[in-house]
Amino acid sequence: MQMKQISSIVFLFFTTLFFAQETKMNATEIAKFKSTVEKESKTIKTIKTDFIQYKHLDFLSKDIETSGKMTFKSPNLLNWQYTKPYEYSIIFKNNKVYINDQGKKSTVDGGSKMFEKINKLIVGSVSGNMFDDKEFVISYFKNKEFYITKLAPKTATIKKYIKEVELYFPINEPTVSQVKLIEPSNDFTRIVFKNKVINAKVDDSAFNN
Amino acid sequence: MQKWMIRLLIISFSVLLFSCKTYKIDDVVKVETKEKVTYNNYFSDSEMDYVYKTQIEVYGNSLSGIFVAKKMNDSIHRVVFTTDFGNKLLDFEISEKDFKVNYIIEDLDRKLIVNTLKKDFQLLLKHKFLVEEVLENELDIIYKSKQDKKYNYLFKSKQDNKTFKLISASKSKEKVVITFESKDNKFADNIIILHHNIKLKIELNKIEN
Repeated sequence: MQMKQISSIVFLFFTTLFFAQETKMNATEIAKFKSTVEKESKTIKTIKTDFIQYKHLDFLSKDIETSGKMTFKSPNLLNWQYTKPYEYSIIFKNNKVYINDQGKKSTVDGGSKMFEKINKLIVGSVSGNMFDDKEFVISYFKNKEFYITKLAPKTATIKKYIKEVELYFPINEPTVSQVKLIEPSNDFTRIVFKNKVINAKVDDSAFNN
Repeated sequence: MQKWMIRLLIISFSVLLFSCKTYKIDDVVKVETKEKVTYNNYFSDSEMDYVYKTQIEVYGNSLSGIFVAKKMNDSIHRVVFTTDFGNKLLDFEISEKDFKVNYIIEDLDRKLIVNTLKKDFQLLLKHKFLVEEVLENELDIIYKSKQDKKYNYLFKSKQDNKTFKLISASKSKEKVVITFESKDNKFADNIIILHHNIKLKIELNKIEN
């Protein structure tokens, strides 16, 4: 056997081993996991968290890193705010979207089904409660660190933008610590939540543009 | 009848004269030179990821996002524009002769938009300019270069040799003006692409990545 063949077999072995670390959850595990997340998400009134966003484009030598903080208040107030390397915030409030782009403010009227869907997607991504079989084909995995739900959109319009959403739940935490949005081209956006606080006091003024 | 004809001829002739007024840069003198080529070095390093926060203003509407360019080989650049959230809006492969759309969202997939952006990016990423004429004033050297039916004017500062402006003009009119600000003449910190025949302005600000 040639050296090249040996090395490719070794490579194949290791990559299989690596992927094998992520296993499918069985029906009992899924039921238990779902009920824990659903129960927890019902108690969520507010979420405050920092985040780091990594935009991965295959041809770049380094992911593009942006970061900021996110504040959510039930049922539908959301402030997604980038602070580094530039200031940009997007607030979802009363069916409207308020954007503040480095001091330049604008408003977009929501009121559409699309708006509702985006809101649901973001809130669902943070809380983890996205077990919507009508919208997604859902599969469940686990590895040493995480429970992972993989959601493939069913709607044709969403499919064009998103191939799959992956939600990572740390084994001992019922809320999401990482979201991965995979595009049809396989480029992806990975968002990591840090310093998350559930049900801290949040004033409505946190959602003023 | 003849009078009418003559009048019409005079009118059309003057219209012709008016529209044929040749475009030229004010207050410059021609310089004798042996220089055959000159270069715009921004975007020319294949080791570099060029990442910019971007504002596009088009007929009163504004669009914000992230612009990414990477030199893939001697002739091809990859250009991607995403929203601030990281969703890809367009993905082009551009060279002086060829152009390929890897991806574009439906809302932007209009011939006029694609063609305009293609030409803008081709001009922005152009590295080598064949010199037809060299002009100067007290502070600047201006390289006039012919490209198909158009003329490009590349402005460099005499003091530090930095490229700070690029004008694309037809025989009679300025069409697009690109201005550059750069500390090192390798990576432009701020770029403004301004159109004169349509209401379109693209501003790029470097993101430290």
